[in-house]
Amino acid sequence: MISMRGVDKFYAAEKPALVDIDVEIEQGEFVFVVGHSGSGKSTLIKLLLREIFPTRGHIVVAGQDLIRLKNWKVPFLRRNIGCVFQDFKLLPTKTAYENVAFALEVIGRSRHVTRTQVPEVLRLVGLEDKMESYPDELSGGEQQRVSIARAFVNRPPLLLADEPTGNLDPQTSLGIMSLLSRINKTGTTVLVATHDREMVDSMRRRVIALENGRIIRDQDRGVYGYDD
Amino acid sequence: MTISIGYFLRESVINFRRNWIMSLGAVITIYLSLLLVGVSFATGYVVTEIVKDVESKVEIQIFLKDGFAEEDMLELQQFLSSDPLVEAVNYTSKEEALAKFKEDMKESPEIIEQMEGNPLPASLDVKLIDAREVEVVVAKIKGNPTFPQVADKPDNPEESLKYAKQIVNRLFALTRVVRTVEVVFIGMLAIVSLIFINNTIRLAIYARRKEIGIMRLVGASNWFIRTPFLLEGVFQALIGAALAIGTIVVLERAIMPRLREVLAFLDLGLSGSVMVQISLILIGGGILIGLIGSGLALRRYLKV
Repeated sequence: MISMRGVDKFYAAEKPALVDIDVEIEQGEFVFVVGHSGSGKSTLIKLLLREIFPTRGHIVVAGQDLIRLKNWKVPFLRRNIGCVFQDFKLLPTKTAYENVAFALEVIGRSRHVTRTQVPEVLRLVGLEDKMESYPDELSGGEQQRVSIARAFVNRPPLLLADEPTGNLDPQTSLGIMSLLSRINKTGTTVLVATHDREMVDSMRRRVIALENGRIIRDQDRGVYGYDD
Repeated sequence: MTISIGYFLRESVINFRRNWIMSLGAVITIYLSLLLVGVSFATGYVVTEIVKDVESKVEIQIFLKDGFAEEDMLELQQFLSSDPLVEAVNYTSKEEALAKFKEDMKESPEIIEQMEGNPLPASLDVKLIDAREVEVVVAKIKGNPTFPQVADKPDNPEESLKYAKQIVNRLFALTRVVRTVEVVFIGMLAIVSLIFINNTIRLAIYARRKEIGIMRLVGASNWFIRTPFLLEGVFQALIGAALAIGTIVVLERAIMPRLREVLAFLDLGLSGSVMVQISLILIGGGILIGLIGSGLALRRYLKV
């Protein structure tokens, strides 16, 4: 699903954001990428979305060679990648239902598809009662569920989450993580960038640890493992 | 696809309303530049018509001395009639010249009253097929040996010739100056329109940056994101074009009758087909300005 070989990323000549990254992630895996702020987690996510190019190396995502991928094809790559962020990125003028439906509308799905899939995915994230609520009427955890519903409504084979629990309390975070875990069980590859120690330690999944842009550890059923 | 068209139209109208002051600025500048384009086309058309009309009326008059020998006059008339550049040669007698003069001057009878006898010379009026050949025909007349014998002023035969070459040339020179000034003005206004559209689209993009970010995230195609903004620019330009066309129609109604009154001897008027042509040019020009203006804004401010 994801293959990175010898990837370097330099924003400025002397300051590497990522150095010599080799990662293979198979379809259906659940992977944590952990590290302090500035360790390169967000850069990694941006590279996978092809928002930025690596300075060196090869990246293949969902069967697409991102280095050779033509610009106009990038949107079609992103339809295969669901995205969840710390700040939810919901539109405040749209209801939960409309926010999720928006993701289908703008990729040209028919109204019929929207009408059947949106309620279904909102039920999956446990918000069937709040479909008509606006983001400011929802709690942080509920907003993140809407954002996950939006990322997953198109059934992408890959889901990327950048600090999905960064703004949430531990109780709520646990709910979000179990939701991501449930999505993973449907066969979707899930990659979560986080510095939420408790979460990582309790889940016991594959952990890739970054420090100063380098992979310092990659273990199955790992723990957060920094002493900070 | 039907959903998309509705979506794009709705989005561009929403953008337009959200920023209506800036949009109004864009509409007004497009309106003014297209109005100038339209007026310049219309005047250009009218002037061309006038020039054509004047050209068709260009005549060389050969004034004849009193008591000229009739056979000399006939010989000269014969000589000119056989020339391929000449359409017709008509003889005007002293009496006919006086009658025509009185007819032309009937507004000011005091001039006629002051006239003693008939001071007007008889003339041969040479009508040309092409007004631009006037110099050639004049040279031929001067070269004819009979001409000095019948000319009104035998000492200086050239003064017995009257022709209106300068009018045509001056009209052409005038239109050229007017055209140049117009092109400069239109160019400047077009640039101002582009800047205005550029700005409104930039604001529209800024107002919707969050939505655009999400659209990119979930994989909306580039043209899907761009189209509403392109349409908005075209939308503004079309409103400007419609206003310009309306103004030109009103101006035509107001000005042309007066012009016709003043220049009664000319056959003036903008036919319906000319108005349609001008409208099409304005609409096409408007769409072009709209597309370029918003296209520039998209290239600079909307990285997709």
